[in-house]
Amino acid sequence: MESFREIPAGGKPVKRAYVALMLWFVGRAIQAAARVDEAVGEEFAALPEGFAFSLEVLPGGPAMIVGKDEDGRVRYRGWRPAGRRLDLRMKIKNLEGALLMFTFQESTATATARDRLIVDGEVPAARAVVRILDRVEVYLLPKIVAKLAVKRYPDWPWQEKIANRLRIYAGAILGFP
Amino acid sequence: MCLPGYYEYSCRVKIVAGHDALERIPDLLRRLGARRPLLVTDRGVAGAGLVGILREAMGERLEIGAVADDVPPDSDLEAVNRLAVLYRESGCDALIALGGGSVMDTAKGINILVSERGDDLLKFSGAGTLKRPLKPLIAVPTTAGTGSEVTLVAVIKDRQRRLKMAFVSYFLLPDAAILDSRMTLSLPAPITAATGMDALSHAVEAYYCLGKNPLSDVTALAAIRLIGGNLLNVVHNPSDREGRLAMANAAALAGMAFSNSMVGMVHALGHAVGSVCGLPHGVCMAILLPYGLEYNRHKREAVMGELLFPIGGPEIYGKTAPEDRTGRVIAYIRQLNEDLHAATGGRHARFFGEIRDREGNHAAPRRRLPEIARTALGDGAIFYNPEDLDYDDLLMVLEAAWEGMPLDSGRIRKG
Repeated sequence: MESFREIPAGGKPVKRAYVALMLWFVGRAIQAAARVDEAVGEEFAALPEGFAFSLEVLPGGPAMIVGKDEDGRVRYRGWRPAGRRLDLRMKIKNLEGALLMFTFQESTATATARDRLIVDGEVPAARAVVRILDRVEVYLLPKIVAKLAVKRYPDWPWQEKIANRLRIYAGAILGFP
Repeated sequence: MCLPGYYEYSCRVKIVAGHDALERIPDLLRRLGARRPLLVTDRGVAGAGLVGILREAMGERLEIGAVADDVPPDSDLEAVNRLAVLYRESGCDALIALGGGSVMDTAKGINILVSERGDDLLKFSGAGTLKRPLKPLIAVPTTAGTGSEVTLVAVIKDRQRRLKMAFVSYFLLPDAAILDSRMTLSLPAPITAATGMDALSHAVEAYYCLGKNPLSDVTALAAIRLIGGNLLNVVHNPSDREGRLAMANAAALAGMAFSNSMVGMVHALGHAVGSVCGLPHGVCMAILLPYGLEYNRHKREAVMGELLFPIGGPEIYGKTAPEDRTGRVIAYIRQLNEDLHAATGGRHARFFGEIRDREGNHAAPRRRLPEIARTALGDGAIFYNPEDLDYDDLLMVLEAAWEGMPLDSGRIRKG
C-alpha cells in the first residue's frame, strides 16, 4: 500500500489567540464590573466566600479564571485553571464553539442549548455567572452586537450605561483591581 | 424545520411496550447477564397490587432477590444508602424500578453505589463522574408522566443539607423501559390528570425551547398527539387499556424529547414551587404550561403555532390562520385543564390559589411567591427558555398563575 505523509491538525493560532484575548479582556472586565455595577456586585456577594470559576476552551485552553478574595473583592486570576480550586468550571467543547460565542454569533444561552458548553459545578452558581457575563457583555459591546449576545437587551438609563461602560473599559485595560 | 448548527441526541433505552410487556422482563435480564434483581418500589405501588401483577407476569422464570417497597415520595440519600446495603446483603445482580419518578431516581442512585462499590453517593454527584456501565436496570413506570424511564438524570434529596442533588450520566439510563398498560389502570383520576399534563409540558417545552432539534421535535410531536387524543379519555375511562398504553407511550416519547432538548421556564418555576411549597410536580406543570407559551410567544410564534397540528388535528390546523394558531394552542391547553378539573370532580387544579391543604389553607400561599421566584432564578432550565427572565418577570408569571388570569402581554418585556 502506498504510504502517505501524516499531516498533523493545525493549531489554529489566530483563532486561539483571538479567543484568548477575549477571555483575558472579559475576565478583567468582570473584575472591574464587580466594583462599578451594583447588580454584578450583588451577584458576586451572593456567591459563597472564596468562590472561583473558570471559562475554558477544550482541549487545553485558552481559559480565564475569576474569583473572590478573602475580603470579598473580585479578581481576574489569570488563564491557567490547572491545580486551582474552582467551584465552577464552564467548558466550551472546542475552539470553533468558543469562536461562535466570542464573535457574538451565538449567545451563551444558545451555546448551552446547542450542547457546546459543559457546566461542572452547581447550577445556581452557573446561572449567576451567566447573568454576570450578560451584563458585562452589554457594557463592553455596542447595542447592535450585544443584542446578538444576550436574550434581552436591558433598558438601562443611557447616562448610567455610558458612565459605567467607560469605567469598566478603563478598569479592564489598566487592570484596576 | 429548525436545524441547529450543532446538537446531540441519545436514547439507548430499549422500549418494550404492550399490554403484556411485563412478561419480557426475565428474558431481558437474562440477556443482560442478571438473574436476581432487587425490586425497588413504594408503598402506594405495592398497595395497589402492582408488585403482585409483576410477580405473576414473571412466574417462576425469575427469582426476585429482595423487595424494597418503602421508597419515600421524594427520593433521598438515606433510602439510597439503606437499599444499597439490602442489594448487597441479598446477593442481587440487577435492579427493577417499579414506580414513578422517585422510585426510578432511587433505583438509579442505588445502582451508582452498588456498581461503583461506593458508600458515599455525594462523590458521584454532578455530570461526568460515572466512567463505566452500571448494573442492569429495568424501569417499569406506574405513572404516565415523568419520563424517567428514558432519562439520564437522577435527582436525590440530601435532607441533612436540605438540597437536591442531580446526577447526570448516560450510564444512568435504564437498560430497558417496560410500558405495560396494567401498570396504570388503577391510577387515580387526579394523578392521571397531573402526570399526563407533566408529560404534555415536557413535550411542549421540548418543542419550543432553545434546545429543540429535529429528533426531539419528532418525539415531542408524537407525544402531544397521543396525549391530546387520550388524556381526557383515560381520566373519564380509567380502565381503557388502549388509552393507558397510549399515555405510557406518550410519557416515554416526551421523556426522550425533553432529555435531549431540555425544558424552560415552566419547569424552572415548577421546580421552585415544588421545592418551596411541596406541591406535586405534575400539578405545577398543568398550571404553568399556558404561561410558558404566553410569555415566550413573541419569540416563538411560528414554532408554537405548529403545535396546533398534533393538538387539534389537520383540519383545525388548516382552517386556522397562521397568526391565530398559537392563540388556539394556548386556549386548548387551558380548556384541557378545565375539562380535567370537571372530570376529576374539581381535584385537578387550574391555578395555585385554588389548591388547599388538609387544614384548608393555601398549599402555595401568595406571600411565598417572592421566595419561589428567587428559587427559580437559580434553575438551569432558564438557560433553555427563549425569552430572558429576571426576578420581576418570574414574580409576574407566578402572580398570574396564582390568580388563574392570563398574562398581560403589555407587561412582558420583549428582548
